[in-house]
Amino acid sequence: MNAVSKLSALAGFVADRFPVEKMNVASMIGKKVVPLHRMSWAYYLGGLTLFFFLIQIGTGLMLLFYYEPTVSDAHASVEYITNHVSGGALIRNLHAWSSSAMILCVLAHLITTFAMKAFEKPREVIWLSGVLMLFLTFGFGFTGYLLPWNQIAVNATKIGLQSIEEVGAYLPGSLATLPATIKETIQGEATVGQATLSRFYAIHVVVLPLLTLGLLGMHVFGIQLHGMSRGTEAVKVRFEKFFPDFVIKDLTAWGVAFLVIFVVAICLPFESFFSYTLAEPYNPLGSTPEGIKPEWYFFFVYYPLELLPFWVIILASNAAALVLLAAPWIFRGTSRKTLRALAVAGAAYLIIVTIFGQQIYDAIKGVQ
Amino acid sequence: MIDTFLLVGLPYLALVACIVGTIQRFRREPYNVSALSSQFLEHRTLKWGSVPWHAGIIVILLAHIFVFLFPGVWRAITANAIALVAIETVGIALAFLCIAGMLVLIVRRLVSPKVQAVTTNVDLVVQALLLVQIVLGLSVALSYRWGAAWAPGTVVPYLWSIVTLQPDATFVAEMPGLVKAHIAGAWVIIGLIPYSRLIHMFTAPLHYVMRAPQVVVWGNLARLGKVAGDKLVASRRLFITGTVATASGVGLLGVGVLDKFVRYFQGPKLTEEQRADLLEERLVRVKATAEQRELELERLRSAYIAVGPLAQLDAKKGRYFIDYEMRPALAFKGDDGMPILISAKCTHLGCTVASEVNDQGQILCPCHVSYFDIKTGAPNPGPPQRRRSRTSTGY
Repeated sequence: MNAVSKLSALAGFVADRFPVEKMNVASMIGKKVVPLHRMSWAYYLGGLTLFFFLIQIGTGLMLLFYYEPTVSDAHASVEYITNHVSGGALIRNLHAWSSSAMILCVLAHLITTFAMKAFEKPREVIWLSGVLMLFLTFGFGFTGYLLPWNQIAVNATKIGLQSIEEVGAYLPGSLATLPATIKETIQGEATVGQATLSRFYAIHVVVLPLLTLGLLGMHVFGIQLHGMSRGTEAVKVRFEKFFPDFVIKDLTAWGVAFLVIFVVAICLPFESFFSYTLAEPYNPLGSTPEGIKPEWYFFFVYYPLELLPFWVIILASNAAALVLLAAPWIFRGTSRKTLRALAVAGAAYLIIVTIFGQQIYDAIKGVQ
Repeated sequence: MIDTFLLVGLPYLALVACIVGTIQRFRREPYNVSALSSQFLEHRTLKWGSVPWHAGIIVILLAHIFVFLFPGVWRAITANAIALVAIETVGIALAFLCIAGMLVLIVRRLVSPKVQAVTTNVDLVVQALLLVQIVLGLSVALSYRWGAAWAPGTVVPYLWSIVTLQPDATFVAEMPGLVKAHIAGAWVIIGLIPYSRLIHMFTAPLHYVMRAPQVVVWGNLARLGKVAGDKLVASRRLFITGTVATASGVGLLGVGVLDKFVRYFQGPKLTEEQRADLLEERLVRVKATAEQRELELERLRSAYIAVGPLAQLDAKKGRYFIDYEMRPALAFKGDDGMPILISAKCTHLGCTVASEVNDQGQILCPCHVSYFDIKTGAPNPGPPQRRRSRTSTGY
């Protein structure tokens, strides 16, 4: 194949994914329909993710007005927001709870879209942008966790970053020191300190939101362009109109979600689930307190990390990331039935490790 | 004696009756595994009984099951006063909803001739039991406050002891009579499940939530026309009601949000004393940071680290200091009276180890429960694979 035909193949690929003739309001909103079938409920998950992301932007912006990203003042400013600013505790809890809700929706969205084979041609680009946003979302979680600068935040971040350095033990020759260099580059200094806080703050508040907004634009634009994926192999499928029928239902779901997250944020401080000492300001002189764990959405990699040799985790996580990214091409010929079985297996793994991880860990380690 | 029967004998009777009976009913009368619906015979009163009853009892029952399965999570939630009050309030409100609904259902069964024709004695027994059980639960909630907080430590271990076949009634034996009555009532109801309409719990049509919506219409053309006409009028009325409701809802929400919003950005109104306290606390933290920075400077400028006087070192309790890489380290007194200096960074994932030495001369890393020998730095078999480096002993 010569250069010209390669180029025209590429142009054809792009033209198929972004058909200009469909780029108008009538086609993208007026004529858009949503299939009705057994998995139809899954069409709301993407919208819910978007909703929680909007809450994150709103509450995050509000927190920015009071938060101070320095090691001496970060914890004090968070305390000030929580204890003194009117509605501050609510805003902070909303931000924290809605982050968890967003990640929950992202994961459910990923699993259900996989089961519905939503990555089929011409939706590969939508899928790719979605997977990239999944990584960004985990990045949001990891960087945002450090910002309150309390015991659990700093110690959990230390452990998370240290695992990068551990990769070095498996690399040959001079490559062995590369992960340590990468870790210190992310960290900004020899140990987690002011430089790390500044970097994580910048990444959390500016870099990740900008990247996410770009990808999100592409993601949503693609969905409106190509419509919801059919999602089923049934020949006869009924449809409902996207506007106004589906939009109204979507907004209703948003309303219910807001009610739930609002009640939870009013009633439950986010720190409710770990012991009080972990919420104290970080103490650089002193042992790591007990009960340091990452957030629940990292359990699926944290507990295996605790139980299995490190190289297994490196291989498995890289393989999983690659499979996710290449899913539209790997599973091109796979039937939805098989995909659904795979999705159920994946979901079962996530749910079991997330809920019963500690019990499994204790049972295997023989801890009483 | 009666306690032992109610709290240990009865549960097993009930569980065996429930399991055996359910299996038998599914095998013998598979088409009968549901509640006989009387909606066709009478639907006006039913609506006011069945809907509130089910709305209330489903949430209450799910909450009970949740506490049973995840007592730790529940305890963490109810440790918050606001959450506890919210949960108790919702629970009590739902109990009243249940009672109202059940009363309507009972009256309906007693007065409607059509419904009576299909009513069995077991139906009436079940209704009476459920009503008593709800009233008992409500009385417990009202007379022994904050059951949501004390149940995870008392009733839940008791239930688990029953389920794991190691019955231990001591958890609840000293409880007031009301609580015991509520527990015993629950066992009776569980035992009755397969022999009554309660079996429909196991065949709730949950898949209706997932399936594509179906519209059921009467096949009568004249009626269809009337329905369409009714729908038009109804939809106009709905539109107006909807618009008014949405507008007022959004308006109220807007006022509330705006109020909170303005106050948030105004910042708190603090008294002088509060401001002084806050400032003092901040200064303490700034000073702590300054001390850290001074240490850093000292490490950069000087070739030695002043850990502390040798006399103050202890063989059993380490003294933390910051080493040349600005990482935590520990100083102990060795058997020979010479100091032992050892990095406090776990070789596994970089946690800071604890400072107390155990009887085997080891210190503990709390992250993944590994021990290090303070003399050799050797880890016990476990996650850390490398020895801990001895910090150069320049004292």
